[in-house]
Amino acid sequence: MTVSGNHHTSGNNKESFLNTIASKLGRERRHEVQLPDIQSLLPDSYGSLTQDDLIDILKEQCFFIHTQVIESKPEILQRTLDDLIEANGGGSVMTSGDPRFAAYGLKFPGSFAWEEAAGRELNIMRAESANTAVIFADYALAESGTIVVESRPDQGRSLHFLPAHYIAVIEKERIVLRSTQAAAALNRRVQAGEPLGSSINLISGPSNSADIEMKLVVGVHGPLSATYVLI
Amino acid sequence: MSLQTDKRDFSERTTDGLGDSFMRNAVGSAQDSLKTRRLSAATALGDWEQWRTAGQQIRQHTLQNLDYYLEQLAGNIEKKGGHIYFAATKEEASSYIRDVIVQKKAKKIVKSKSMVTEEIELNHVLIEAGCELIETDLGEYILQMDDWDPPSHIVAPALHKDRRQIQRVFTEKLGYTDDESPEKLARFARKVLRQKFLEAEVGITGCNFAVANLGAINLVTNEGNGDLTAAIPKTHIAVMGMERIVPTLAEMEVLDNLLCRSAVGQKLTSYITVMGPSVAGDTDGPEEFHLVVVDNGRSDILGSEFNEALQCIRCGACLNVCPVYRHIGGHAYGSIYPGPIGAVITPLLGGYDDYKELPFASSLCAACTDVCPVRIPLHEQLILHRQNIVKENRTGSMERFQMKAAGRLLSSPALFGKTLRFAHPASRLMSKHGRIVRGPELIQGWIGARDLSQPVKQQDSFRAWLDKRKGESGE
Repeated sequence: MTVSGNHHTSGNNKESFLNTIASKLGRERRHEVQLPDIQSLLPDSYGSLTQDDLIDILKEQCFFIHTQVIESKPEILQRTLDDLIEANGGGSVMTSGDPRFAAYGLKFPGSFAWEEAAGRELNIMRAESANTAVIFADYALAESGTIVVESRPDQGRSLHFLPAHYIAVIEKERIVLRSTQAAAALNRRVQAGEPLGSSINLISGPSNSADIEMKLVVGVHGPLSATYVLI
Repeated sequence: MSLQTDKRDFSERTTDGLGDSFMRNAVGSAQDSLKTRRLSAATALGDWEQWRTAGQQIRQHTLQNLDYYLEQLAGNIEKKGGHIYFAATKEEASSYIRDVIVQKKAKKIVKSKSMVTEEIELNHVLIEAGCELIETDLGEYILQMDDWDPPSHIVAPALHKDRRQIQRVFTEKLGYTDDESPEKLARFARKVLRQKFLEAEVGITGCNFAVANLGAINLVTNEGNGDLTAAIPKTHIAVMGMERIVPTLAEMEVLDNLLCRSAVGQKLTSYITVMGPSVAGDTDGPEEFHLVVVDNGRSDILGSEFNEALQCIRCGACLNVCPVYRHIGGHAYGSIYPGPIGAVITPLLGGYDDYKELPFASSLCAACTDVCPVRIPLHEQLILHRQNIVKENRTGSMERFQMKAAGRLLSSPALFGKTLRFAHPASRLMSKHGRIVRGPELIQGWIGARDLSQPVKQQDSFRAWLDKRKGESGE
């Protein structure tokens, strides 16, 4: 899948490009760099927080980002989700293929789950026609009201963007304070040579735009609404 | 569109801006609301000044080691089966992208907002090549539908248009039949563009930051169009200015926080995505991934006295506090990069021939420098430009003559005293009712908008008064 048969050969281009940079910086090319410790510059303004504090911070922030937060429990999760799907106007549901759906005994009659076997077109088509997407968050970031999800064979990228409404289930123990913790955890995986999904999404509420007269419109290209269910 | 959006004289462009009262109202209220939102989001982070220092250090470290990080990025992208292309010029960048697309015989292209693709005139090149290209950012889509009206703000490109103008564009160009409410206009665009996403063969995005040790790009958006552009088409081409890179996700996180808070006053925007070539088991996302790294004049800035301008993360905060931008608007800069940062980088990328006026479009109040999340000394860079422009004799001959005369006058106490004595009688012909109404070029600019008092008579001057007082008290 290379771009062959034309004049674009990246090798030489790259070398002359990078050599130009080094010469403009007045030195030879560098092949070893020590990364300075930036994180120590950044003070922790929150101090120690309990899980309940984090939940409170998350709920407060979600108010500002037009995202509904529902507290539920594993025992009644199915009902909570059914009610929310109903409130979205019913219609078709698409979930990720996350094993936690089975673990919590969740079933949505007539729904589809994102699956590798279905292939690109079918998965995208199902997501496009779904009224509600339901997924499980990998992390939630309290301060910004964000969920973190990673693309996997059972969870494509467009599942988070095509359905009209978006529901993310957050297990309370996965709530961390802010993006700093999530970035650090992901970066540790990178440094350990562990492969990451081809798309890591930090999603904070529904899609929105203020491009017309700076008036906020909620629901633009992505979902029109977002709901977080805490268990 | 290229870097240059308007070839007319700077004075014509500013006159246009100053006369556009809708635009001035819109920009004024946008500035006010963004300023407040930025401040509250910045305060919420804790010690904002420490964060700015961290941002500055990350950017400076990356620039000092740019060759290293770009090489690391290239290695990691290629390891994942992606392609990376280094383009020294805008022509190299846009023709590489065109060739990739032509070779696939692809016609349908969706794009998400990217300033660097404007800079390399990509839209023009692809439309020439027969592609159907759609800008999917709501603001950019409105501008495209309005026959490619240029953007006027780097974050809110259609800031200069009101809802009725947008309604008219949609009605005329797309058969829109509903009213002018922003919700309805946005829903309509959503529906039209959803189809475009599903049909697109190639998606083109910008890149807020490339992440060197991961071999991925980071997009910071609100509408969701950036992610759809990368998720659905089988080919994803991302374009980045060569300086927009971070070592790891940890530095990205710091800059994303500074960016979101400074740009729109959000803690994080709705969608912050780190994406790259697809991996085994992916069912959507690109089968083919290209990253185009653009120099186009940036390496000439590197290591120069303007090096710090490359720290810019394109948040637009300096536009939102600038009193000059507030009144003349984005279009008056004649560049896709307006405002204080535009006045610094446009002459660097496009040369003084076309842009020598921009560094003078500033009151040097330094509000831009104060607000910059990565501490670019913007007003000092504007002064550097001014010094260069004067040194290169690029100011008008009349201005040079007047400045030379003023210099001589002000540096000689005897001459200065004499001039003061004659200022009142000499200005009589230029004045009316105690105000100067005409005069040489230097004065014209001022009295075009403001009053300038006629100098007082010698016996009424402060110096005369002081001398008299000294005499009375016997000193």
